[in-house]
Amino acid sequence: MDQLATRAAPTAAARRRGFAITDYAWKWILLLPAVIVVAGLLIFPILMTLYVSFTDWHLFAYGRPIRFVGLDNWFKVLSDQSFRIPARNTIVFVLGSVPITYLVGLTVALALNNINVGRRFFRVFFLLPIMISPVAVSVVIGRMLFNENVGPINDILWRLGLPTVSWLSNPVMAMTSLILIDVWHHSAFMILILTAGVQSLPQDPYEAATVDGASDWQMFRYITFPLLVPISVTALLIRSLEAFKVVDIVKVVTGGGPGQATESITLAVYDMGVKGGDIAHGAVAAYSLFFIMAIASGALVLGTRHWVKKAS
Amino acid sequence: MRRGQRVRLTLSYAILIGWTAILFFPVYWLVITAFKTGVAVSTGPTYLPFVDFQPGLHAFREVFVSNREAATRPFINSTTTALSSSVVALFIGSMAGYSLARFRFAGPGSNGIAFLFLSQRMFPTAVLVIPFLLMYRDLELLDTRLGLSIAYTGFSVPFVVWVMRDFFLGLPVEVEESAMIDGCSRLGVLTRIVLPLAAPGLVAVFILIMIGAWNEYLFALVLTFSEAITVPLYLQIQTQTVMGTAWWNLAAISLVSVIPVVVAGLALERYITRGLTFGAVK
Repeated sequence: MDQLATRAAPTAAARRRGFAITDYAWKWILLLPAVIVVAGLLIFPILMTLYVSFTDWHLFAYGRPIRFVGLDNWFKVLSDQSFRIPARNTIVFVLGSVPITYLVGLTVALALNNINVGRRFFRVFFLLPIMISPVAVSVVIGRMLFNENVGPINDILWRLGLPTVSWLSNPVMAMTSLILIDVWHHSAFMILILTAGVQSLPQDPYEAATVDGASDWQMFRYITFPLLVPISVTALLIRSLEAFKVVDIVKVVTGGGPGQATESITLAVYDMGVKGGDIAHGAVAAYSLFFIMAIASGALVLGTRHWVKKAS
Repeated sequence: MRRGQRVRLTLSYAILIGWTAILFFPVYWLVITAFKTGVAVSTGPTYLPFVDFQPGLHAFREVFVSNREAATRPFINSTTTALSSSVVALFIGSMAGYSLARFRFAGPGSNGIAFLFLSQRMFPTAVLVIPFLLMYRDLELLDTRLGLSIAYTGFSVPFVVWVMRDFFLGLPVEVEESAMIDGCSRLGVLTRIVLPLAAPGLVAVFILIMIGAWNEYLFALVLTFSEAITVPLYLQIQTQTVMGTAWWNLAAISLVSVIPVVVAGLALERYITRGLTFGAVK
């Protein structure tokens, strides 16, 4: 470390003004505020949650001594329905929403790549959902469009002579509705990333394939898709990590219901730890979500490693 | 061959127009509902202004005139918390990004430290909720704009560090070096050379963290309850009250909350594209 300090001599201008902040000092002056913020506002709370999960700390029990209870909370929460159902719901939500969002993103990105007229308009318009807050999206689509009595979707179905759908009162449909809202909202991100990917594809393989008389499907199957694997994995990873954290659309659209059918882990953490005051069990649920996310992203990266390597 | 191309083109436009329609319909519904009267909603859905129903401004009047106190406060709260946290996070984060891009670090190295920053985003926000509640209760920061701003600053910093470091790495070092040889101090280099060059990156990151803070929900839900509530929380609370069935009022609030972000976002679209692809593709 000290050798670095000698490397950075004070500049002429600084010496003239009589004070000299060396480059060695600058390096730390610039970095330190961010380190302090991250340590205090992220790393410390993350560790504190871990600590809370091993105690019998309760939010509303002022002054009572906090006892260390080992893994008791962990055993209790992981075997309890109040965690297992939200955990299953969250996984179903991610497995439903992320692949559909990806398919929409890929289809639209490929379509965008085929056209010239109006391309810019579509590209900008497709960004729109990113700018609308999840709560507003949930209110408009979840509460208004999917409304079973006065919503337009059921009205249109009825006018067309089709059976109406219990969008929110049926447990399976409620989850489907949440997934559809999520797809609507986050397609923008997928389209953006995959468009960037499609645009950076090399042209040579396509020329060769055209000479060989390959069909559109063959070109997609053997050229486009394999080359898009690395960027697809990145996009899927980022989107899944976000989707696992879902809470706002659940809270606004279904409130976790009907029953517990759509309650997500984060909503369970809020209900248990914040509203119920049982922060120890809430902490376990929150950390379990982290482990689920870590396992899922590890599986995604390892599972696709072979294809990613082949593409690069 | 030509026929195949025409089919491909038609199919592409069909897909794009179809997706446009899917994106457009909720937005259209939001806009027309905000101008509806109670009758136009509760007697079954109406679709076309002036044909199906007579549009009016009474929802806006009810929300922003009759309940002005209650309705404007969340907007002020959201604006101040989003703005202040984003400015501070941009400042702190880009400084660190510059440091990591230009100086050598022993131990984990610049890459390692940058990755440590990024890895904070792996943790679900649910993990942070409980300690913030405990800390803020003791520090008396619950239900304050300051408290929420501090929390949002913390969430934004890692993203700023990560994206801005990449951005600075893409700027030529030679310009800075020659300025320093000519007697410019490090501070001078930072303010006179690096800052103007980095402006596009700073704008891109600022918009993204600003939108993030403006739309954030979970922490607003946990840390605020009356004085400092933000727009998303206010909107969610309205859905649970008597007003919850007054769709026109909800739509009016949603519309007003969405318009500033959409206008700014569309105007600065290329920065958003750049910021998001930078964060993800690199």
